[in-house]
Amino acid sequence: MAEFLNNYGFLIVTVVQQALLGMSLYYPLSAGQLSLASPGFYALGGYIAAIIGTAELFAPWRDLLGKAVFPLEWIIAGVASALLSLVIGLPALRLRGIYLALATIAFVQIVRVISLNLSITGGAIGIFGIPQLFESRWGYIWIFGPLLAATLLFTWRLEQGRIGRAFRAIREDELAAEAMGINPTRYKAQAFIIGGTLAGVVGAMSAPFLNTWNARQGTFDASIAYLAYVLIGGTRSLWGALLGAALLATLPEILRPLNDSRLIINGMVLVIVSIYLPQGIVGALARLRGAGKKKGVPAGGKT
Amino acid sequence: MTTAQFLQNLLNGISIGSVYAIFALGYTLVFSILGIINFAHGAVFTLGAYLTYAMAVGQFGINGLLSGLSIPVQLPFPVALLLGCILSGLVSVLIERLAFRPLRNRGGDALLALVSSLGVALVTVNAIQYFVGSEIYSFPPEIYGDIKPAITFSIGESVVVIRTVQVIIFGVCMAVLVSLGFLIARTRFGKALRAVAENPATASLLGISVNRFILYTFFLSGFLGGLAGSLVGTSFGVAGPYFGVTYGLQGIAVIVLGGLGSIPGSVLGGIIIGLIEAFVPPDYSAYKEAVSFALLFLILMVRPQGLLGQSQIQKV
Repeated sequence: MAEFLNNYGFLIVTVVQQALLGMSLYYPLSAGQLSLASPGFYALGGYIAAIIGTAELFAPWRDLLGKAVFPLEWIIAGVASALLSLVIGLPALRLRGIYLALATIAFVQIVRVISLNLSITGGAIGIFGIPQLFESRWGYIWIFGPLLAATLLFTWRLEQGRIGRAFRAIREDELAAEAMGINPTRYKAQAFIIGGTLAGVVGAMSAPFLNTWNARQGTFDASIAYLAYVLIGGTRSLWGALLGAALLATLPEILRPLNDSRLIINGMVLVIVSIYLPQGIVGALARLRGAGKKKGVPAGGKT
Repeated sequence: MTTAQFLQNLLNGISIGSVYAIFALGYTLVFSILGIINFAHGAVFTLGAYLTYAMAVGQFGINGLLSGLSIPVQLPFPVALLLGCILSGLVSVLIERLAFRPLRNRGGDALLALVSSLGVALVTVNAIQYFVGSEIYSFPPEIYGDIKPAITFSIGESVVVIRTVQVIIFGVCMAVLVSLGFLIARTRFGKALRAVAENPATASLLGISVNRFILYTFFLSGFLGGLAGSLVGTSFGVAGPYFGVTYGLQGIAVIVLGGLGSIPGSVLGGIIIGLIEAFVPPDYSAYKEAVSFALLFLILMVRPQGLLGQSQIQKV
């Protein structure tokens, strides 16, 4: 067991962490909004944790709080991300479809360039030697695991309730939802803020986990990776992000013997899945099950 | 800012802006026909630069599968450039056949076209890395023949330096823009292309093979992407397989600024972004990249249809 964790502990924690980031993109998507902003908030959260963990200025905090400084970092990162997503979200969410996606890509790029140039974020080198919460990488499962469980439970409850129904209504037809008395701006902003906050908290937890934090954490590539988790897993189920992350985050490991060419295969998977599994894995499984029960059911709406 | 500095920035901006314009046109052509942004365009830009390099210089470095290889036959640069662009166009056609058409045939969502084109970009960029590694490739300075490297003239005390490469780039881009404008506005081919962009169903009723014109569009788009990549490569070097990613995103800022789907808009947007970048003060040059994204964000907030785009009637 110890050997297993030694070999695969990091990978398992990474899958959970990536699944959480996929979830952060799932909320806006479940309200019909394609936002790629998550890496921006993830980077912000990570920088907050890294700065509180290393800067001279915060040394008294660290001495005073000991390990309790970590939860404080998560809270600060969460609050900061929530505020920033409110500021970004309110104007941006007037945009639809590809326009919103482009605006959020711009946001991620702006955060990246700024963090590359400020001295507090360590410029191009970034911040390293971030204090650890656990002795081994595997230990981090004790924060990411409960966070994932809580997120899944929260999402499940959310989807059962009024807010989740409003999200779905907006996704299906925003005008109709508005005519039914749902305020689209409010719910879209909620979905965006929940996603942004989650990404920020995950960032704050990831900075110690990864030990270093730099501008490479919040890039366009990351946006695409998170989007791919959700799309490949399935956009219509909260399990989609988890499944997609499990598949795509482990794929490079499984393909490690192929070394340089493994990203080529990753890219091919993206193409093939978008064409042949447009509803994602969850959608395909549901359809298989549906086909077993009754035949001739039209294959769902659009993704 | 002195007059000389102003002039210098102006010339730099127009030169790089004209490359942005032809690069962005590649996005615009595809967008105007399919209503999607082809995220693989940045990868075609990169590929074009490498293809032109391979044919014109043919010396490979120490990494990747082709390490140490030198191709015995070197083509004259204009021929290599033309071939590089044609090959990029063909690759773009291949991308349409493999990643976009199957999706269209299955009635896939536009969102999936985004992912699928990103998948292609990932494959292309990493395939390049697999073959030639991630080192920087520079075109030798004499690639354009035996010419002076720069033209200098002075205004009062200060000197304005125009690199010859910049002039050539500007000239090539203008020639391409004019020919493309003629092709689209004045020829039968262009008329058919516009008909497909306007309404594919009607165009097909009128006897235009829609799928064939989509292929032509991708060819043109890839040609422009490869050309832009090669020209930037000769000016600044080919900075590794990922060098198209930034330009790819920059190009998206250009098309949004000009107005998605608008051809004059892309040209105007390209020149504007080129100029704005050139006028970023040297002290803040590290923020250069952020400027176009800030502009992209801003324009989406105030005028999502862009400078020359048509506002769409919004139906969810």
